[in-house]
Amino acid sequence: MKLIFTIAWRNILRHKGKSLVIGIILFTGAFLMTVGNGVISGMAAGIEKNIINGFMGDIVLMSDAQKADNILLNMMGSSIEPINTYKSIKEILGAQPYVKHFLPVGKNLAMMLSENSATPGYAYLLGVDFAEYRKMFPDNFTVIEGAYPAPGGRALLIPTFARDEFYDFYNTWFVPEGGSLIKENLKKEALANIKNLVVSSSVVMMGMTSGINTTNDIRFPVKGIIKYGALNQIFGHFCLVDIDSYRECLGYFTAADMAAQVPKDEKKLLNLESADLDSMFGGEAMIVPDTKRAPKIKAAPAGEAKTAGDGVYNAVFIKLNGGVSYDDALAKLNKALTEAKTGVRAVPWNKASGPIGGMALIIKSALFLFVTLLFCVAVIIIVNTLTMSALERSSEIGMMRAIGAHKTFIAGMFLGETAILSAFFGGSGILAGVAAVRVIPLFKITTANDMLQLLYGGNYFSPLLSFSGIALTAFQLLVVTVIAALYPMRVAVGITPLDAISRD
Amino acid sequence: MNIIEIKELKKDYLLGTTIVPALRGVDLSVAEGDFMSIIGPSGSGKTTLLNVIGCIDLATSGSVIVGGREITALNDRQITEIRLNKIGFIFQTFNLIPVLDVMENIEFPLLLMKKPASEARKRAEKLVEEVGLKELTAHRPAELSGGQRQRVAIARALVTNPDIVLADEPTANLDSVTGASILELMRRMNEIEKTTFIFSTHDSNVLKYARRIVKIKDGLLEKEPAAV
Repeated sequence: MKLIFTIAWRNILRHKGKSLVIGIILFTGAFLMTVGNGVISGMAAGIEKNIINGFMGDIVLMSDAQKADNILLNMMGSSIEPINTYKSIKEILGAQPYVKHFLPVGKNLAMMLSENSATPGYAYLLGVDFAEYRKMFPDNFTVIEGAYPAPGGRALLIPTFARDEFYDFYNTWFVPEGGSLIKENLKKEALANIKNLVVSSSVVMMGMTSGINTTNDIRFPVKGIIKYGALNQIFGHFCLVDIDSYRECLGYFTAADMAAQVPKDEKKLLNLESADLDSMFGGEAMIVPDTKRAPKIKAAPAGEAKTAGDGVYNAVFIKLNGGVSYDDALAKLNKALTEAKTGVRAVPWNKASGPIGGMALIIKSALFLFVTLLFCVAVIIIVNTLTMSALERSSEIGMMRAIGAHKTFIAGMFLGETAILSAFFGGSGILAGVAAVRVIPLFKITTANDMLQLLYGGNYFSPLLSFSGIALTAFQLLVVTVIAALYPMRVAVGITPLDAISRD
Repeated sequence: MNIIEIKELKKDYLLGTTIVPALRGVDLSVAEGDFMSIIGPSGSGKTTLLNVIGCIDLATSGSVIVGGREITALNDRQITEIRLNKIGFIFQTFNLIPVLDVMENIEFPLLLMKKPASEARKRAEKLVEEVGLKELTAHRPAELSGGQRQRVAIARALVTNPDIVLADEPTANLDSVTGASILELMRRMNEIEKTTFIFSTHDSNVLKYARRIVKIKDGLLEKEPAAV
């Protein structure tokens, strides 16, 4: 072994030009592989931090009636099926040791009605219990204007991104109730138009589903303007509203539920206490109920106390405990939910998030492809250079074979040369890559592009390398080394003593 | 006792679609400890004969027994082992390993045999002294003259104590004085190490060093002239 490495090392020094060419390729390849792996790891970590921990958890429960798994960024107007078995789901989730937190949410599209615009706009609503939401996602956004909503009552939190969009669409600039116009937060166009700027602290929204368009148009008071800590341009599409108002907006309360909200003396007055309020709006001449398409929402049994937690939702976001097997947890959860006949299924976050998860996967795949392509180019160049080197040294190799060197010795010599070059130049490339990965976040490189934000894994380009990431790069380098040495080795061991003599 | 027994050895080369016979039925016996020269004009088949004896080339037909072993039926690994353990080579163009110094070049076959480094060094030191290169042990081949390189090649060929040393025109690239000294050295080593030497040449001036001369022409051995 010592002899092999001695000869290999001296051959490298003897053929400095070729060695340098291979070395530069290996250095560049290892550097780019390291940074590439760092970007992939950073992206994965960013996604975990920002999407899983900051927006929707690891797993999402949705109704079995929901056809597509994508419930977050689905096509406009495509409604999300309701879940009305949350009470059972809650018990099941509470009994699963791998579940860390869970949060039921309403999620659907709402039509925005404005006095200032004839054309309605649209907003994605996330109906939540604000207190529970804060427990699940304690620091995913900051309230930059107004305040976090107090418990009870209607409330709407508009992300800065959505506010800018609403301004473009409505010409209305939303500020929180009791808040004033903050010039620094104004969009450029709004600032230019400040004299004629229409400012509002409320917005009327009408829930939309593909089954029925509820006639419940709710005026939401804007309680705050929020900015997500990361991926604001993606998460910023979603306005947070209190779950009760959300249900009301989406028509998720049955008539009986509505009746339950009428004070008792008024019911007496109206003599409606036991009446079916739906019948008031029924009548064949007016509306034929579309029982097939309308969400099958069960009315609460008479006399049963209804709480926000027991009502209708569209999804449940679930965070898992650290260290649990994701696939196992998903499988167990689905089994438990099916056995309990909850009518819901558990879906991985990347499927439930639709384009976000899809794009994350595409970007990750593209990066992987890039690194693989880099491998191939490096391998081809190294193979070519080493093969030429083998052929140029036919006489020397043939002589070695003539005096008794086995094929394995010749192969080892070539592998040794490539291994030394890989270890030195590739190792330097990895070290330089690690240094670059450490230094890049210090520059706080940012982007306004949604997709690049996904690539960045957050607001800043933050590649990340763990020990396993470095080990992966070293392993990839090893693979490149072995693959690159295989063909030249084959050529070299194919050289016979006779070839050496013939060349002489 | 014969160290080499060759019977009806034929070797053909294929040039395109043409078969060119290089050896056309050679019978040869070489005694142990002999110092033999194969002479003949260029293209007569002497190099081919040496290559077949040295397990560098394969016979087309016939029998070649080296050190009591039929070599025509061996696989690559077995043939390599014979080259390593039984045969020493001296090439016309010296063929030293350019990245190793004199001492390392001489040690090289022993290290291939996986001999301990100290043992290899000891044996190499003995031979480097015998070939008169004691002062040049740290020099690389490029820093040596042709004669010095061939001395290194002789030491390397002998370092494993082979049964046979084959030398293909060992003086062809050397001036006459150096060539003579190399042949003198080979003969001396033959006497010291008791190793069988077979060398090819087409230079009649070197024949006086051989104890036995075998003449080859058109792939066939001619009647042996009287040894000097």
